[in-house]
Amino acid sequence: MVTMYPMLTVMTFLPLAGAAVILLLGDRMARWIALTTTLIVCAVSVPLYLGFDKSSSALQFVETVPWIRSWNVVYGMGVDGISLPFIFLSTVISVLCVGASWTAIQFRVREFYAALLVAETAMIGLFASTNLFLFYVFWELMLVPVFLLIGVWGGPSRIYASIKFLLFTLAGSVLMLVGLIALLEATGTLDFETLAKTRLSSDLQAWLFVAFTAAFGVKVPMFPVHTWLPDAHTEAPTAGSVILAGILLKMGGYGLLRIALPILPDAVRLFAKPMLVLSAIAIVYGAYVTLAQTDVKRLIAYSSISHMGFVTLGIFTLNRSGVEGAILQMINHGIVTGALFLCVGMIYERTHTRDIAEYGGLSTLAPVYSTFLAIFCLAASGFPGLNSFVGEFLIISGAFKTWLWLGVAAVWGVALGTTYMLWLYYRVVMGDRRPQFQGLRLDLNAREVATLVPLALLALVIGFYPESVLGFLRASVGHLLTAAGSGVMAGPL
Amino acid sequence: MSDLVFLLPELVLAGTALVLILIARHVSRAQAVAVPVVVAAMAAIVSGWAFTPEASRVGFGGTIASDGYARFFKVLFAATLALAALLSVKHVDTERVPPAEYYALLLLASTGMMLAASAVDLLILYLGLELMILCAYVLVGITVNRPIANEAAIKYFLLGSFASALLLYGIALVYGVTGATDFAAIASAVSERNLTRHPFMLAGLALMAGGLAFKIAAVPFHAWAPDVYQGAIAPVAAFLAAGSKAASLAALVRVCLAAFASEQRIWSEMLAGLAVLSMIVGSLLAIPQTSMKRLLAYSSIAHVGYALLGLIPGTPDGAAATITYAFIYSFMTLGAFGVVIALGERGEDLLAYRGLAATAPVTAALMFLFLLSLTGIPPTAGFAAKFGVILSAVRGGHVVLAVVAVMCSVVSAFFYLRVAVMMYMMEPQGAAPARVPGAVAAALAVAAFVTIVGGMFPDTFAAWTVPPSSRNIHTEISAGR
Repeated sequence: MVTMYPMLTVMTFLPLAGAAVILLLGDRMARWIALTTTLIVCAVSVPLYLGFDKSSSALQFVETVPWIRSWNVVYGMGVDGISLPFIFLSTVISVLCVGASWTAIQFRVREFYAALLVAETAMIGLFASTNLFLFYVFWELMLVPVFLLIGVWGGPSRIYASIKFLLFTLAGSVLMLVGLIALLEATGTLDFETLAKTRLSSDLQAWLFVAFTAAFGVKVPMFPVHTWLPDAHTEAPTAGSVILAGILLKMGGYGLLRIALPILPDAVRLFAKPMLVLSAIAIVYGAYVTLAQTDVKRLIAYSSISHMGFVTLGIFTLNRSGVEGAILQMINHGIVTGALFLCVGMIYERTHTRDIAEYGGLSTLAPVYSTFLAIFCLAASGFPGLNSFVGEFLIISGAFKTWLWLGVAAVWGVALGTTYMLWLYYRVVMGDRRPQFQGLRLDLNAREVATLVPLALLALVIGFYPESVLGFLRASVGHLLTAAGSGVMAGPL
Repeated sequence: MSDLVFLLPELVLAGTALVLILIARHVSRAQAVAVPVVVAAMAAIVSGWAFTPEASRVGFGGTIASDGYARFFKVLFAATLALAALLSVKHVDTERVPPAEYYALLLLASTGMMLAASAVDLLILYLGLELMILCAYVLVGITVNRPIANEAAIKYFLLGSFASALLLYGIALVYGVTGATDFAAIASAVSERNLTRHPFMLAGLALMAGGLAFKIAAVPFHAWAPDVYQGAIAPVAAFLAAGSKAASLAALVRVCLAAFASEQRIWSEMLAGLAVLSMIVGSLLAIPQTSMKRLLAYSSIAHVGYALLGLIPGTPDGAAATITYAFIYSFMTLGAFGVVIALGERGEDLLAYRGLAATAPVTAALMFLFLLSLTGIPPTAGFAAKFGVILSAVRGGHVVLAVVAVMCSVVSAFFYLRVAVMMYMMEPQGAAPARVPGAVAAALAVAAFVTIVGGMFPDTFAAWTVPPSSRNIHTEISAGR
């Protein structure tokens, strides 16, 4: 489809322009400008979904401009069925982040919203990049606003958490830089499509896989490089946690799908088994650690490790249901965990505690809140009819096709997931009212309801009609698996 | 006579310096001198740009080249001079430095840098570097009332003289073996008489490498840099960190490629050792620093290591990456020092940066930009520069060096971004800093502009970065004889 204007570029850089306007105009207008910008980006993105040809696996809405001739790098933007859902998620999450920060952010307001918008630019740009150089630029650009979001507006040990986050992710991504440069040197190009058609030697593939997986594994995060996540998610302000859980973690999974699978297929098959084992460990170990948490935010953070274990498990099963499930699971995790962090943030704004033991009896004090929390807790535990069920089901069926014990570990993880989510809900919502909450207006106001409703709707829509996302994926995943040379393994769903 | 056109930028600067010395007694305020110095620097840029012929030529009896390489560095040094002149205005007045002498020394040092970059003869190269460093000794100690400055100047002088002696001794040995000091003749003597493994040749190379390594402050010849940068007033430290380092790097690149191209395997091993040590030691020792100037000194040591990565494979592309690195490094370092200068006395203490984003948001944002660039985070120029040198290293098969380099930049992220942590994430200390003087603000704007444009459009400077060519000069010399 041909459009009159470079839609993806406009979507990517509109938030940056909004950030510049915010910095110029000052604190008072900041949140309104941020809300307007993020809503405009959503509106601009509508033709993207309407005009997208689901039957094609090719890149669509492609824009190419020469950029750096000396390194044979172009500025290339485009979307396929895999990147489109992530762009959708990024635009929606950005709006909700502005909504969630409306009253929570009281100082350095303009810098906050500017950082949020720069992060939106990096997210959309990353998912729309069609070459590795641009991908890397947005990948690294993302670090800066998130570093500031955690470190400036975060909780008590925000500085420790922000530095830890930065050093972990930077250590991973600089190895990707070396891999990128080695790839450029070996092939002379960084274009994803051209690279996917180039057959690299197995040795080179193996080394490149190590370099790239260092970056993606830290971001996902995979066991055992996950330790930055609980600190970063817990200390970040609500919007920061939502961006971290909703989008930043997905960048790692997306990188695996966009780079590792199509460009390094031999290495992926070579390393698939250890990766599957690490994923299974992440699922089960993450779930057990989650069970032991006493801090609401930390609990949700650790649950992310378990849930993201499902994603890498699905990807490395290398069959259709596994990979489609992994992508769906990433979208679902973004929706559900984003929503859970929003819920935690909303109640924290009123009670100023994240200690689970101090909560209880919210069902009568805050019935609306309790309803939303119920929806999202059930969704997170993989309740049928809600979104995560579909993704986890696809991944588990993919895992059983690959290796029986992987399926067992995954089912075990789901069972533990139900336990910790429902136990959390039980401890927070059920039971006696707490005297210290008497007199507090605990229930949600209209703005907060409006922030949560879109995510609840998405959870229901995807739960009842998963085709709404899977329809976009089908052609591209098929192409991806054929390109990865493992099309034979893709059984009928 | 036509050869003099080659030296037009040098003549402009030296002439201005002489005029300043003549009128020194009548000048009392820095601003009165800074403006003509900036104008002279602009004139040097224009004359260097306009009067350098497209084709490479050699003049003055085969000792000075006029080529794209020399032109590139002359423009860089003139720009460094202009920025340093602007950054100096406040300090020269408050520290009661005699302005005309100060600026004359800056001009003469820049003249020396330009000579060093265009020299194709070891003696002219030595002359240029000595002119630069002699002025630098005085500039470091120019605040006579500050004991720390005197100490720094004496240290710099003693160690610097020793390094110059090393360099000269190396030149003498090379002359003894080859019977020549000009690069083309050395290159042809080495290849014709097969002197590659001659023991005196190797000793000469090692001594020259040591002398030049001191001047670029590569580990283990780096120990002077932190003390000197700390003792000198901040604008002098900025000028040394950017200009003198780039000039010595320019000389090193040309010597390696034009004179000793056939010894590439030997010097690339030496340079690889220097590069690895500089990156690791520079990054690690920057971590515990509490003085901003010392931190930037160790950062400059680490950056020399990155810059050398491009030179190690000995290819023209790699050399181009190295000189691009020198260019971008100069601007981001001038920018970082510019913020230190803009903050005045408190700018030199790391802890004084706490809460700066609240009290001086624009200054803090600029510092953040320069720090990101020094770390090498896209889309800043520092990333593009680092990408270029690492690409050359990988092309040359030095993947291990590339991995060391990126790992060191993670370490460096820790100490650079700790400053950002202090600025953005801690409570303000004391009153808001005074207004930034206009001259300093102008210099910061230029540095920020280069840092952003160089990152967004890395090709911008690519067309200007011409690696030194040994072949052209060689053929022209032999044709002329």
